[in-house]
Amino acid sequence: MKLIVMIKTLLGFAPNCEKVNAFLADYMDGTLPEKTAKQFEDHIDMCKCCGPYFEQYRETIDMTRCCGEVKLPEELVEHTLTFLRKNAK
Amino acid sequence: MEPDRLGFLKMRSPLCNLFYMATTKATVSSAANSSPPKPEYDLEALLRGDEEAFEYLVVQESPRLYRVIFRILGDEEESQNILQETFLQAFQRMDTFRKESKLTTWLYAIGINLARASLRKSKRLSSLNDQDVERMQPSFSKGMFLESPHHWDPLKLAEQSDRHRLVHQAIVKLPEDYKTIVILRDIEEHSTDEVAKMLGITSGAVRVRLHRARGALRSMLDAHFSHSNPSSEGLS
Repeated sequence: MKLIVMIKTLLGFAPNCEKVNAFLADYMDGTLPEKTAKQFEDHIDMCKCCGPYFEQYRETIDMTRCCGEVKLPEELVEHTLTFLRKNAK
Repeated sequence: MEPDRLGFLKMRSPLCNLFYMATTKATVSSAANSSPPKPEYDLEALLRGDEEAFEYLVVQESPRLYRVIFRILGDEEESQNILQETFLQAFQRMDTFRKESKLTTWLYAIGINLARASLRKSKRLSSLNDQDVERMQPSFSKGMFLESPHHWDPLKLAEQSDRHRLVHQAIVKLPEDYKTIVILRDIEEHSTDEVAKMLGITSGAVRVRLHRARGALRSMLDAHFSHSNPSSEGLS
């Protein structure tokens, strides 16, 4: 299977590393056609560079998502409503 | 505009205050959860200037909108000012809402524009520019990776408090438009189409910038997490 993917990539019938990389955000958004997404997955499974890169890319997104809570000021809503009372006329 | 359209805020009864405080606390605490239930707004009531409907919008959206503004600005006092200004403008411009997007998308667009204007005015510039972000993308030769990525050290990845600090530092360094997209898409988890509408750009442009931003973040984190780089040079 890996050999077939490699041959297809070399012959230009399957996406290479650069193309896979350029469309990672689209792939993760699920906007790629099913067939193209499958080709991406085959490439990532087979490629010694794209595999670890994709893992780190995904890890980066996960870490970004959990990068700490923002402390909300006390009385945040109350202050906003007070401001509106004074100014929204 | 009707005079003192927000007079209802001055005239809250004690019972109403109790309800309001309970709602506020519930909203703030639910913001700590990853996926709080999304409130539904009565658009018709808002468009005809219904006071209770607007109060509900302020109560429900303040925490999440504040988080977005604060992450863009990094300044508590200015973020609160911008939050207040956002709701004021939303209130005064409610008749311009055309229902072409979600109400919250329209509201957040106002807040983000105000926050970005404040950032430009204060000249708090990011340390990286577009060229730096470009340089932090992987290189290819004839379509293949030029260099194999270094593996990340699981022990370093497991240090959670350090990880939060490093990620925060890396996000702050991003150029402003990249940072805003990361905040909206990857942290606040708005959809790509929503982010595009908030920023007035195409979904494709959001994905391209988001991809570059993630690549730059990965590159900065790589300097810390990879086996071959013991220092955190990329984030210093």
